[in-house]
Amino acid sequence: MSDSPIRFRGGGFAPRPKRGAAVIAFAAALGLWAAAGRFGWVSPIFLPPPDAVAAAFWDLARGGLLWRHIGESLYRIVWGWGLGTFLGLAAGFAMGIWSYSRAIGVPFVSALFPIPKISLLPLLILWLGIGEASKVATIALGVFFPTAIATYAAIDAVPRNLIRMGQSFDLPPHAVLRKIVLPGALPGILAGFRITASIALILLVSAEMIGAEYGIGAFILQAGNLMLTDQLLAGVAMLSALGLAIGTGLTRLEKYLLRWR
Amino acid sequence: MKKSIPVARRALLAGAAAALALPAPALAQARARASVGVLRLSSSGPVFIAHERGYFREAGLDVELKFFTAAQQVPVAVTSNDADFGVTGLTAAFFNLAGRGALKIVAAQSREEPGYNLVAYMVTNAAHERGFRSLRDFAGKRVGITTTGSTFHYSLGLLARKQGFDLASVTLVPLQTLPNMQAAFRGGQVDAILAPVTLARALEADGSGRVLGWVGDETPWQLGALFTSPRAIERNRATVERFVRGYVRGAADFHAAFNARDRGRPVQGPAYRENLEIVARAVQQTPELVSVGLPYVDPEGRLDVGDIHNQIAFWQSLNLVGREVSGREIVDLSFVRGHTNVPRG
Repeated sequence: MSDSPIRFRGGGFAPRPKRGAAVIAFAAALGLWAAAGRFGWVSPIFLPPPDAVAAAFWDLARGGLLWRHIGESLYRIVWGWGLGTFLGLAAGFAMGIWSYSRAIGVPFVSALFPIPKISLLPLLILWLGIGEASKVATIALGVFFPTAIATYAAIDAVPRNLIRMGQSFDLPPHAVLRKIVLPGALPGILAGFRITASIALILLVSAEMIGAEYGIGAFILQAGNLMLTDQLLAGVAMLSALGLAIGTGLTRLEKYLLRWR
Repeated sequence: MKKSIPVARRALLAGAAAALALPAPALAQARARASVGVLRLSSSGPVFIAHERGYFREAGLDVELKFFTAAQQVPVAVTSNDADFGVTGLTAAFFNLAGRGALKIVAAQSREEPGYNLVAYMVTNAAHERGFRSLRDFAGKRVGITTTGSTFHYSLGLLARKQGFDLASVTLVPLQTLPNMQAAFRGGQVDAILAPVTLARALEADGSGRVLGWVGDETPWQLGALFTSPRAIERNRATVERFVRGYVRGAADFHAAFNARDRGRPVQGPAYRENLEIVARAVQQTPELVSVGLPYVDPEGRLDVGDIHNQIAFWQSLNLVGREVSGREIVDLSFVRGHTNVPRG
């Protein structure tokens, strides 16, 4: 019996990078879209063909407005996401560590998170005006709650036995936090960043409903209001590209911060 | 959305009905069907009156009302075949859809007319104190509107031409919704807004601003229209004719009841109360509230055609509507007689 080794049954369930696949799938989707317009499967009123969208994009770039739209939106996203993340991390850590903070914080988060931020726009305008403050606040509000939830859940997931071990080696509380809790919670927090970065992009359109003249969201809103569907899709493509860029940046950040794994 | 039953199946149903020996009138009453997209606004009053009083039925049509919540959705619904007809205000979005061959205007809806206080130019008290006292003072100010390409935007363009200020010198702040506009006005974030009468009265009552004038008094224009798809006119001209016949009877009732004037002062016309209740039920508001904002409606559905051409030229000058859109192609003048101000040539 001992001379017949047990067959190794492991395998699969471990996605490996496949570089070409995404490009091919993307090209196929684009080809199908172009064909739908070319062969008249779909009226261009309902789905403008990719070349019309590209032309709308080109018009925007040539007119010099493209960078203005992107610049103003980036400003709002960076400040809104930064502010929401900072406050969300602080609240999440407090809720993850102290019992009273959690007892008070959790019901507040549960009560306030589901409020659609768009329904608060008139109030935000009254409080903060129609300048940048109300737009940044709209995004920050949307980012704050998921960050707080992700942070305290990530802290909960830090193995207790590691914390106990640190304590039995007489580590002071701040060292336990810095050397065990923070690194242990980081993967969960970074996963939360992925979600909140997308939420920031989604809320950009709501934020720019507040009297914005420039910005990708304002451009999309105007195209929708004017029924210029080619411009609308060009704006949506800009948002997607921005989402892709942020996602790639976060992957890099994850690789760097979690290199100890 | 409910779809009408295909012809073949309808024939089959009729056959089955005959086989079951249903009473004869059930078959005799088979009418053509049509649907119309409307908003719950009193400017759609002619449709509500024609529907309730059976004018469509008498014209040989079973008409279903489909309610929408934003002016934009109605032309889109007609484009996508979810409604056969539509009645709403004319916006840049409408002309962009119409210009791609999806819509044709066949009759008039409401109109901005002198003596009809429907949309106010309102300034905040603070701006008024700083010297924003008349309609000539718009240059260099911040003005809240709903959206770029809206009826408010066009009204302001007309005022700019009349009062001789440059529209480009006015900062237009698109705030998307009326509550947003109201908040920005109360907070002094804008110097002025264009406000529908109910909002204008509310802002006046709580002392946050004052009315400088009314769009109808300053710049009368063709605010809204009845439209359908070119396909419907080609394939089913009789249905369009029947619908317009019923609609114009509703418009005539509306005009007689609500647009009666005695030396410039509004008076109650024939069947005022009944028609007011029909409109109030359809727009789901009290008759008192509805009576404050009743617009002018031409009794024969006649359009100010020149103004429609002017609207297209205005949007084109701002690059908001494509150059290829032509007023001649998107208006069908053959369903109503006596349209006014028709451009020659």
